[in-house]
Amino acid sequence: MRFENRAPEETVNYADEHPLKEFALLVVGVLGAVALGAALLGFFAGELAARVPFATEREYAQSITLKFEQAKLGPAQRGTRDELRALAGKLAAAMPLPPDMTIRVHYADEPTVNAMATLGGNLVFYRGLLHKLDSEDAIAMVLAHEMAHVYLRHPARAMGRGVAVGLVLSAVSVGAGRSIGGEAAQRAAVLPLLKYSRDQERAADELALRALVKVYGHAGGAADVFKVLGSAVAGEAARLAILQTHPLTDERLALLQELSRGNGWPSDGPRTPLAAALRPAGAKE
Amino acid sequence: MSNPFDEKSAGLTISNLEVLPGKRVKTHLGVVQGSTVRAKHAGKDILAGLKNIVGGELKGYTELLQEARDEATERMVQQAKSVGANAILNVRYTTTSITMGAAEILAYGTAVILE
Amino acid sequence: MGWLDFLDWIIFLTLLAVGYFAGRAAEARHYASIRKREQELAKVLAFATKYPPAAHLPQHTRLVAGSVVVGSDYFKQFVAGLRTLLGGRMKSYETLLDRARREAVLRMKEEARRHGYRLIVNVKVESTNITGGNRGGLPAVEAFAYGTALKPPAADGSQRAV
Repeated sequence: MRFENRAPEETVNYADEHPLKEFALLVVGVLGAVALGAALLGFFAGELAARVPFATEREYAQSITLKFEQAKLGPAQRGTRDELRALAGKLAAAMPLPPDMTIRVHYADEPTVNAMATLGGNLVFYRGLLHKLDSEDAIAMVLAHEMAHVYLRHPARAMGRGVAVGLVLSAVSVGAGRSIGGEAAQRAAVLPLLKYSRDQERAADELALRALVKVYGHAGGAADVFKVLGSAVAGEAARLAILQTHPLTDERLALLQELSRGNGWPSDGPRTPLAAALRPAGAKE
Repeated sequence: MSNPFDEKSAGLTISNLEVLPGKRVKTHLGVVQGSTVRAKHAGKDILAGLKNIVGGELKGYTELLQEARDEATERMVQQAKSVGANAILNVRYTTTSITMGAAEILAYGTAVILE
Repeated sequence: MGWLDFLDWIIFLTLLAVGYFAGRAAEARHYASIRKREQELAKVLAFATKYPPAAHLPQHTRLVAGSVVVGSDYFKQFVAGLRTLLGGRMKSYETLLDRARREAVLRMKEEARRHGYRLIVNVKVESTNITGGNRGGLPAVEAFAYGTALKPPAADGSQRAV
């Protein structure tokens, strides 16, 4: 009996290929597939949600409406809210809102520099943003922008998309857990959401501009708002456009110029001064 | 630390063979085993965490497992001695990783008396 | 311009690059060492069979073992994480296990040679996952090789190095 050791072939137990080949394949294949899947699922979920009748959405959002209605407001704040509602009514006449689409404007006495549209036609205007705007045109632009979101059913679409992408995220986290690759896949799944959000903002901007020009004769208020919002976002100069929920300020101003030129709107004009109820009380800026 | 595999220090023969060349088993005494669970202290773990980025041998963990294995073998030898064996045959090892930086080693074999 | 958002990505890409280059270098070095020592230790024979040659003759026996823990790098972990979503061969970890097993066997042979043995039988190799970190996946793997080394008894009891 002979006893000897012979060295077997090496590359049987491991792949003798360049690791970057597998890397490239997986990044493009897996991350690409996850982003694409999230984009498609998100798109269809959004379309589905938008087809739910507005009356149903309003009913579903009753608890939200109630929460805002029941917020405590002093007499001065109530005056502000009523003035905002009157302004919204003026704008609604200039927008193609269907008769059953009721917009409810709420005023929030908080320092947040923001305004938002949520489900059921509810709009919230925060004190922080209100006090940064110094003309009725600017306030009208914000209102018109949020009303445009409601008209275009954006809150419902966003919710539908969020649910769909949430499913993709949970599938990824079950598969890849907390590994580095898994986290990268989760970020890839969220990218389409951000793109859809930016598209929505652009659409709302366009619709709002039309209404603004109809009521005030020019689009100056819009530029004011973009500049205020742009300076309110810290470090906006250092942001990557593809990771934002809103288009960058420069882009919004560029869109404004483009639409004004295309439609022959004057891009500037005299601003309508603020009604007393909309002016900040006391020494607030 | 003495090497538990060393015949002279352990006091008996350890092998993973069933049959030792030239020796006959007089009495089989049954299965003996030794096990330990060991964890490495946090300092060595941090270094391993950094090594996680560049790869390579994690000497801290290698030592951890070697020590655990040595201890498990010593315990198995202790059991064998307690039943009067002079050899342990068919020795096998199993390793299980338990959460962060802890491992369980089991050594088991058949305790025998060789002629 | 846009460096704030980039910071996250810069850190990620840096770790990935460091993992890739350092990992590849370490792996190449390790394999070079493994191949060299496999040639050197070719004289120490190892078999997985239980029945040793000349089983009827008395011989010195000694349980010999070798073990190593090899860690994966950031790059390998990233690729493996994506692979768990797609399925298929985890090529990034195959080399890890191959290296670990061969290293463990070499260390076992080295120990045998150190004590004057040239033959090891009933060699067994086992690998274990060592999850030393808080990430899912396989940051490190341990390979453990053991067997019984045999040599004919020298007349004067001395041990000769190979």
